[in-house]
Amino acid sequence: MKRHPHAWRYLSAAFIMAVVGIAILVQIVRIQNSPEVAGVINQGNYIWKDFYPPRGEIYDRHGNLLAGNKTVYEIGLDLTAKPDMPTIMLALQMTGLNLTDINYRISQVPDNAQYIVLDDFISADKADTLMTLQKAAHGDPTGKNLDAIYFKAHYGRSYPENDLASNVLGFVTEDNHGYLGIEEKYDNILAGIPVRMLVPADPRRATEYPTIPPGQTIILTIDREIQAAVEKILDQALENTRASSGTIVVMDPHTGEILAMSSTPRLNLNDYQNVKTVFPGETPFNRAISQAYEPGSVAKILTMAGALDSGVVKPETVTFVPEFIVVGGFKIFNWDGGAWGYQDMTGCLANSLNVCLAWVSDREMGSASFYSYMQRFGLGHATGIDLAQETSGRLKLPGDSDWTPVELGTNSYGQGVSVTPIQMVMAASALANDGQMVFPHVLYAQIQDGKQSNTKTQIVGSPISASTAHTISEMLANSLEIESSGALVPGYRLAGKTGTAQIPLPGGGYDQSNVNTSFIGWGPVDDPRFIVYVWLEKPQTNKAASVVAAPIFKQVVEKLVVLLDVPPDAVRLQMIGR
Amino acid sequence: MNNVTQIVQKVRQAPWRVQRQWIGLFLLALVLMAMVAGIYLNVTVRATLAGRETIALRASITTNQRVNADLETQLAGLISIEAMRRRAETMDFQPANPDDITYVAVPGYLSQSAVDLSTPGINPPVVPIILPEYTESWFDYFINQQASSASAGDQP
Repeated sequence: MKRHPHAWRYLSAAFIMAVVGIAILVQIVRIQNSPEVAGVINQGNYIWKDFYPPRGEIYDRHGNLLAGNKTVYEIGLDLTAKPDMPTIMLALQMTGLNLTDINYRISQVPDNAQYIVLDDFISADKADTLMTLQKAAHGDPTGKNLDAIYFKAHYGRSYPENDLASNVLGFVTEDNHGYLGIEEKYDNILAGIPVRMLVPADPRRATEYPTIPPGQTIILTIDREIQAAVEKILDQALENTRASSGTIVVMDPHTGEILAMSSTPRLNLNDYQNVKTVFPGETPFNRAISQAYEPGSVAKILTMAGALDSGVVKPETVTFVPEFIVVGGFKIFNWDGGAWGYQDMTGCLANSLNVCLAWVSDREMGSASFYSYMQRFGLGHATGIDLAQETSGRLKLPGDSDWTPVELGTNSYGQGVSVTPIQMVMAASALANDGQMVFPHVLYAQIQDGKQSNTKTQIVGSPISASTAHTISEMLANSLEIESSGALVPGYRLAGKTGTAQIPLPGGGYDQSNVNTSFIGWGPVDDPRFIVYVWLEKPQTNKAASVVAAPIFKQVVEKLVVLLDVPPDAVRLQMIGR
Repeated sequence: MNNVTQIVQKVRQAPWRVQRQWIGLFLLALVLMAMVAGIYLNVTVRATLAGRETIALRASITTNQRVNADLETQLAGLISIEAMRRRAETMDFQPANPDDITYVAVPGYLSQSAVDLSTPGINPPVVPIILPEYTESWFDYFINQQASSASAGDQP
């Protein structure tokens, strides 16, 4: 076969094109794997970045925002735009940014970096100021402009009520982690699921960021109005009594919903960086759940409830109350050191007689029955409330290495046993709720995909019968009326008990100069709508709970009956009668 | 008959006719390739534009959500307990004392209940994003067209 005379031309052209194609492929592969490209990635122009979804919001039970999101800014610098650093530093100083931190960041930047983050989580106000300066300096003929500054908006946590309910809410740090309170307990559902991506350090080069579903919104059982009222009353009480700290808890005894929970000190959550200053040392963030203490006479309601339920005494049971009683080889005295003669059980509660209650626990109930009831009331165990960092307190039991027989007597009036306020509230819920003890909780509902799922009421147990609960409530209501307590609120029949407790010292023995004063009560007696627990630590103006704590209970109830629309007993009975 | 056969033979063997056939085939292939490339380019451009628009809209949604959250938080700050207390004080309101309050039973009045933040209808019914024309076969397409035109004709 004869070859075409010009075939060499076509063959040459094909050969050249093939060589060029192969050369292009080789070059592409070479660039992809070149040390220069790897160097660019390693030297800070690409970074692994976590993309956080908008954090779920937190509302109170009436839809008032307690924790939301706001716009904050990352402020960066485009180094390729040849920024005029003196001008930029002057502008940053005028904006009020921390130049020390910014200078440090600039000193850490690699030589060939194209973009650096100067500061992050800058408030919208400061960013606006800087933007205004940038606009004013734009187009400056001498080149002293701020065009190289770049703003990237993103979410930051915000607490519109500042320190309201701060002990319940907790806070979120800049790395989007919740600490303490609700923010920590429900961090996994509030935070959503972050996504980690390798992106250019210069945000202008990243054209598409991932779309991440937001965290779930939650609604708390807290009532903002009640919370504010309680905090105001507590602050005033601390000022009046010069107590070292205070705690007030308000709960619905039928559902276990915490309506208000306040303890001191409180933190402005928008300045959470001050947490170490506000809570120095071992100061608990929320004393209502994290600080166990010897409650004193408020625990007598549990002893009496157990005794009534076991049938060893009745309200009308009369006993002689001497100056002291010997339990486990130790003398136990009344609060005044005196003898009170013949008293029925209501009188024992009304006069808060230690000797009488020690007689009930030691002589009538016995250790097995007494501690069985204390355990049924949940003493010695954490309640499981949905707040971070709950502590359990301590109930020593017969058989424990450090239990002594005298504690059967002292425990009956709340000494030698430690509880948290929330434990006492949960235990008392059995007395106010027909013998059924409810699980205290702060989460009212959570919203997912537009649907609200409410938290159901949980009955933790029934330590006493309904009739016993009614009986003890009546006794406590009568005892308040007998002693003309400062806790009484005109128009409403309330049940309650004071507690003045000695404070144990770390090395043993008790503090002779300070006491803890408490009050626990609920009402209206025939249909309780609230349980209120008041605790003032080391009040200085007076050491009697009836003088210090009972009036605070009264103030709280006066607010509650208005905010919860609780009619006076007479009106309510008329309404029921119709 | 013999002449006809000779003419056909000559035509088939003429070099310029063979070249014309090859050129015709080449041009046909070229035209087909150009058509496919054109369609491909058109679809690609449209998809790219739609993608860019989606990205822009998504960014817009994100920005709007952030601005909404920001405004909601600002509003909450304006109606916070402390802000409302200050405003009430400037308007010379005084806190009511317990002695000032009288309970009045209003028939039919319901006290404030806990909030329900569920948003019914937030999830619209799921509709296919990809049109059926892109997934169905030619046979299905013609059957569906027939069915739709027939149903359109049934309407009064």
